[in-house]
Amino acid sequence: MQPKETQPSSAFATTGRSRKGEPWIWLTAAGLALGIAMALGLFLLILLKGTASFWPGRIDLMEVSVDGKTEWIAGYVTQETERRDGGGKLHEEIQVFRGNKDLNGEAFKYIDRAHILKSTRPESLLLVERLEFGPAIVNGVAIETPQGRIDVASPGFSPALKTMLTQGAESRSRLLRIERKQIGAISRELEALGRAEKAGSVSEETASARRQVLQKEFDVLQAQAAEIRAEIAKSKFFGLAADGREVKVESGALLGVFESNRAGFFGRVQEMLHRIWKFLKDDPREANTEGGVFPAIFGTVIMTLVMSLFVTPFGVITAIYLREYASQGLFVRIVRVCVNNLAGVPSIVFGVFGLAFFVYFVGGQIDQALFADKLPTPTYGTPGIFWASLTLALLTLPVVIVATEEALAAVPRGVREAALACGASKWQAIQRVVLPASLPGILTGVILAMARGAGEVAPLMLVGVVKLAPSLPIDDIAPFIHPERKFMHLGFHIYDLGFQSPDAEAAKPIVYATALLLIVVVVTLNLAAILIRNRLKKRFAVSSF
Amino acid sequence: MPEQANLPDPKRFEVSRATLWFDRFMGWLIRSGGVAVIVAVFGIFYFVGKEVLPLFHSADVAAAGKIDAATSPAVLGVDEWGEMPFFYSGGDKVVFLNAADGARREIEVPGLAGLKVTAYAFDTVHQRVSLGLDDGRVGSFLVEYDRKFGDGGKSIIDPKVTAEPWFSLSHGAGAVTAVSYGDSGSGRVIAARRGEGAAATVSVLRLGMKRGLVGKGKLSLLEEVDVTASLGAEPLLLKASQNGAMVLVACADGGVVYFLADSEGVSKRQSFRPFETAPPRQMDFLFGGVSVVLTATDGRQEQWSLFRTKKDGERMFGETKTFPKLAEGRVIFAASQRNRTFLTGAGRELSIRHSTSGEVRWEGSLDIDPVIAVLDAKGEHFIAAAADGTARRFSIHDPHPEAGWRAFFGKVWYEGGSEPVYQWQSTGGSDDFEPKLSLVPLVFGSLKGTAYALFFSIPIALLAAVFSAAFLPLEIKRVVKPMLEIMSSLPSVVLGFLAGLWLAPLLETRVPSVMMMTLIVPLAALATGYVWCRLPIGFRNRFAHGSEWLIVIPFLAFSGWIGWSLGPLIESWLFVYKDAATGKEIADFRLWWPQAAGISFEQRNSLVLGFMMGFAVIPVIFTIAEDALSNVPKSLTAAAAALGANRWQVVWTIMLPVASSGIFSALMIGFGRAVGETMIMVMATGNTPITEWNLFNGMRTLSANIAVELPEAPVGSTHYRTLFLGAVVLFGMTFIMNTFAELLRQRLRDRNRIV
Repeated sequence: MQPKETQPSSAFATTGRSRKGEPWIWLTAAGLALGIAMALGLFLLILLKGTASFWPGRIDLMEVSVDGKTEWIAGYVTQETERRDGGGKLHEEIQVFRGNKDLNGEAFKYIDRAHILKSTRPESLLLVERLEFGPAIVNGVAIETPQGRIDVASPGFSPALKTMLTQGAESRSRLLRIERKQIGAISRELEALGRAEKAGSVSEETASARRQVLQKEFDVLQAQAAEIRAEIAKSKFFGLAADGREVKVESGALLGVFESNRAGFFGRVQEMLHRIWKFLKDDPREANTEGGVFPAIFGTVIMTLVMSLFVTPFGVITAIYLREYASQGLFVRIVRVCVNNLAGVPSIVFGVFGLAFFVYFVGGQIDQALFADKLPTPTYGTPGIFWASLTLALLTLPVVIVATEEALAAVPRGVREAALACGASKWQAIQRVVLPASLPGILTGVILAMARGAGEVAPLMLVGVVKLAPSLPIDDIAPFIHPERKFMHLGFHIYDLGFQSPDAEAAKPIVYATALLLIVVVVTLNLAAILIRNRLKKRFAVSSF
Repeated sequence: MPEQANLPDPKRFEVSRATLWFDRFMGWLIRSGGVAVIVAVFGIFYFVGKEVLPLFHSADVAAAGKIDAATSPAVLGVDEWGEMPFFYSGGDKVVFLNAADGARREIEVPGLAGLKVTAYAFDTVHQRVSLGLDDGRVGSFLVEYDRKFGDGGKSIIDPKVTAEPWFSLSHGAGAVTAVSYGDSGSGRVIAARRGEGAAATVSVLRLGMKRGLVGKGKLSLLEEVDVTASLGAEPLLLKASQNGAMVLVACADGGVVYFLADSEGVSKRQSFRPFETAPPRQMDFLFGGVSVVLTATDGRQEQWSLFRTKKDGERMFGETKTFPKLAEGRVIFAASQRNRTFLTGAGRELSIRHSTSGEVRWEGSLDIDPVIAVLDAKGEHFIAAAADGTARRFSIHDPHPEAGWRAFFGKVWYEGGSEPVYQWQSTGGSDDFEPKLSLVPLVFGSLKGTAYALFFSIPIALLAAVFSAAFLPLEIKRVVKPMLEIMSSLPSVVLGFLAGLWLAPLLETRVPSVMMMTLIVPLAALATGYVWCRLPIGFRNRFAHGSEWLIVIPFLAFSGWIGWSLGPLIESWLFVYKDAATGKEIADFRLWWPQAAGISFEQRNSLVLGFMMGFAVIPVIFTIAEDALSNVPKSLTAAAAALGANRWQVVWTIMLPVASSGIFSALMIGFGRAVGETMIMVMATGNTPITEWNLFNGMRTLSANIAVELPEAPVGSTHYRTLFLGAVVLFGMTFIMNTFAELLRQRLRDRNRIV
């Protein structure tokens, strides 16, 4: 005891590194590490799973024997799992995507590893993308064209296949043009004619005469479509599934053929890029489980843009009012607390409000005033993209108000007073000096609002989002902009595919890819906002008086 | 000109008019715009509130005409639209009166001329008047209304009367003194009493429809059962349920005997005494035929329902509700054919009551002495008639009879249930479904989800905030903070999807591993710290202060891995499920938990939810708590350090107490975020409205409930408005929390300024 008292205590000797409480500091460090690990882990998980859904794997050809019966199965191994049977014994299982839904009913199959006798990767196996039933996994046999049959072994096979693919794509787009656009125009005119006739603005004779003309046009178009179909049916692709059954694909339904096991690394990268491109630009097929997400991207973008179109002016005006015009008393203080509060109100509550106010109240009034002839079928009195945008604008309003107010407050007093001293009116000072200085801050707010709006799903479920919208809210049919239409949304797409899809397993890759896309959008917007904010901080650090 | 040049130009100092005008205009625009936006935002509450308010309105009843049939209304019926009531007083004619113009029409009942009717009853569901004759025969006739639209959209109602076959009673003697008719579509039941006083007998007739090759088939008597012996006292009232499944007989000794009538015959199931020895004066079934409302002579009114008793699981009648007492006197009763409201009263006082909530929807008094009343099928009108045939017609406006404080927030004894419960079940398969609109399970679900989310998030968020505010070097903090902020803006639909489709299946088989990890990882962190500060100082000094979070990562990862792999060992040691049938022992937590705890195990449970909600809640709490801790004045921490406090002591004794209100406000904002979270709740919880704190099953939250049900709810219906009420409750919860948090934060700001 005694010698210790004469020496300096260990606290001094360790330059402040006292042992007391040190374990608790490590516990807080672990908390931070965990938080960061969670954030990064989630991003990495989505990134990995999302990218993996585009990456072309290798096809395994397996000889599987169950209870003495031997079966050949070809497919991609998608998952490795463990299963415990009734007796508590563990089984290692693999989940195989074997495609050929038209032959097997289900695209996925679980195989017990113990049942696999032999597994190879023959180069002849092809992955055939089709319009229906999802992809097929086959050994190529031949293609049949009007010029004759070309065997897979012949050198002319691959150029002929390429021609067939381009021709098929061309016919498909021609068919689409006829069916969706031209026939659609006729049916729209028929509908309008019926309404006009009911309202009495068109006589019965003129209407029936016009109907006959339209019917003739319709017949001509039908004949054209039938011709294209017949042409499509002439070219076919033949293949043999692993179990020896024949798979036949018409050229119109053939989207692509990929030699999974033959392609080298660059071939696979190329295929992956191709798939990403298709994912971004294609329409969904097969109850959204195949194809791309273009309408969802389009809907998300348009809705977010319309939302920011509304939220920016209103948010900025309110912030300017609160900061520059209103007298800073109790009222403004209360309003500020409420605005802050509004940011914490659950988004679903905004959705409920949007449904009651925008859709049923405002929409109902618009219908009665302008679209009375279509009632009781509602035009605006039903959920749609315009109402969804307005609802989200209200939801993100506090974000813009708070950010703008902060930006306005950050403009140094000196700058403002200098402007006024030079003889500028109040508005001139705001317009020429204060607003330009706070522009980055306002922009940050708007971008943050867009990021929040783009990722929000719950309120949209009430005010206009649908799993499959037949047409886009902006297209080439007059009046070109259709704010009353329902729309698709990336976030809702994830919910719908993951939880409402008839084939959730087959939809998983698309869900992961969509989640990745949505996260990329949201994170990019957030990063942009943060970068702008940092630049803003630096700027005022220099320019303050 | 030259003179002017010498003078100072006043115009130089004058502001141009356009500038002034524009300035004024912009000032006006911004003021009005700002105020308009603020008003619009508060308009939200007004509009949502406006949708909710009608739920709490009671029924509106208005007089809608007088009728005089000039005949005593032994039976009073009415068409679906309440426009043409009919009066039947025991003769061979039915009197129809048009309520609008008083036009009278008499229609003869076929085959009734010359017969003496001694008993009658009316079944509003089938519009059937059942009759008993003095010669012991029972029969019935049907009243049908045919509605056509004439010129100019005026509706013409054309009534029709069809007789049904007679059946002779073989038991008992004398005139039929009471009759009741039930009809299930395929089979029918008639209950009839013969004779008066102690000699009275009760017979139950089962009728069957013989299927003919063509047409509807012929009604024939299957069986007549004399049930007098099982009554015990003189029968006073008898009632067959509209669906023909049972017969109730009320006796003079106060007992009510319940007979079940099914394809096997008629059997006595139960005898109960609603009012001790006082015999009931009135006994009628409610819509759905499961509940019966009984009124005693002294005006007590009770509802008895069929439910499976807890004791032996038998379906028996039990008292479920007591209604406010009626006045003494003749009891009037008419059940609705749409929902569980009924019109009842004594003397001139009438009231409309709802059986589910037990509330009185309307009360009023009439200017006549009514003896009988009837509700139309739409529930929009009722007609009450006095003994002399004068009648009053009333219109009822009661769009939400099943709503009310008690229905939303109280325990309600629903039909078929063995006790009062909080239950949410808004839609059902059949027309006679009784909506169960208790918001309590949903509020409970929201709180449960929030509790588990906070349980997981608060430790991590606060620990991270403390480390980041107190120890983390500034340049690293500049990266870490925005990273966690971005995490807070992750779309919740992505989190929900990962929770439901990735994490839930992953954790399903690994519950013991998760338990071990939550135990081992924090201990490992503490142990690392303990060992670390005992390492030689030379070695420790190689690492800068504030890098602890990096050093600890490998240890955390290692301990996590150990916990994960220890899981199955623990499972095979502790969580062994024993199959009762085969005696086999299986080490599986999923099977063990229901057996050991008696509550279910689901794949999408609160464990998964709590973890995933962490991603949404941690950043919120972290950001605000970190701000509060960072803003603790440097003078305080520096003073503490100067006085010899080590770095943990500075945190523990200075920073945490000073920032405590800020930390508290962070927790409340985290609560607000968790309570309102929708997509994660929808996708990761299974959405069953249950009220248990079980970690291994899900819940149904207010927010998820709105998202799932509102798109399907018909606009303006009770269901629709109740969902709005849910939104109001949700809003109220978050608004109070947020306001409180905001006030705390402002107080903290003021205090820090003073310090």
